[in-house]
Amino acid sequence: MNIIVVYLLLLKATLTSFSGLASLPMVRNDFVVRHHALTDRQLNTALAAGRIGPGPLGIYIVAVGYLVAGIPGACAGWLAMITPAFLIIPMIRFLGARAEHPRAQAVTRAVLLGGAGLLASASVPLARDAVTGPLSFAIVAASLGLIALTRLDSLWIMLGAGLAGLIAFQL
Amino acid sequence: MPQARLSEITRLFVRVGTTVFGGGFPAIAILQREFDRRKWLTPQKFGLALGLARLTPGTNFLAFCAASGWYLAGLAGAVAAVVGSTIGGTILVIWLTRAGELGNAYPLARAVIAALVAAGVGTMLGAAVVLVRSQCSRSEWLRPLAIAVGAFALSWGVGLSPLSVIGITAAAGFFWVD
Repeated sequence: MNIIVVYLLLLKATLTSFSGLASLPMVRNDFVVRHHALTDRQLNTALAAGRIGPGPLGIYIVAVGYLVAGIPGACAGWLAMITPAFLIIPMIRFLGARAEHPRAQAVTRAVLLGGAGLLASASVPLARDAVTGPLSFAIVAASLGLIALTRLDSLWIMLGAGLAGLIAFQL
Repeated sequence: MPQARLSEITRLFVRVGTTVFGGGFPAIAILQREFDRRKWLTPQKFGLALGLARLTPGTNFLAFCAASGWYLAGLAGAVAAVVGSTIGGTILVIWLTRAGELGNAYPLARAVIAALVAAGVGTMLGAAVVLVRSQCSRSEWLRPLAIAVGAFALSWGVGLSPLSVIGITAAAGFFWVD
């Protein structure tokens, strides 16, 4: 896949989302459904790599770029991840006073909520691929509960899941 | 306010971006403590950077880094903050992805990766729940829930593209104001 196309598709995903993982539905739509450049399993691998490492949740975009086009793809992913951040500079200069406007706040809230709905929607096909038995189902349920109900760092959840997989394999 | 040097800004953001796990919010909390300790940013500028970061497309944490870097040292500060906060994590994520792909050839590694992937799906669903809950209060929960469920239904049930769903929710938000 052409590296410019990879960058533009990933940029479209990051520019139309307002939190780290909210870009996922767009990424899946473009790379898995439309262009068949990734499988759901590879997208899951990218997500897992992004969750294990430090930094923002949106860093999985780098892993997506890497899986699609190697190191140049990872660079395209990194650029697509950081590009929208610089939009805040003109916003500081020109929109600073208007950011507190109730209508601007309401639109942001609604887009954030829309992103949550899209995130849940995108996770359904990924769950179909990931849940292969009682253990994986239990891991999905436990990690969902821990994220939703506690403040436990997701690194510990991933490490716990990895350990559960290791123990289950040994048994 | 003391003047921050570019090398100091870069060092701080590299350190936070490479050592803080759990997403952007813990990293912002640590940066707030470090800015306060060094007297680099006023609470007003910190608050504006945080507020505008929520309105900026993409990863909120990176927009926050760009804004605080801009306040500290202009465009060079913004670039240093964004690059510094992502470079370590980026290298690690590439390595982890490569390890994940190679590991699929070995049964033991495959079992561990399958468990990690399942946990990734669970954390995605959990993140959606947390996002919705962050916008709900005791008196105002029906509309946020309706928008999130509506977006889910438009995407999963109707099959609209994510861009269309975002457009519809933005329009709903425009008329949301009481």
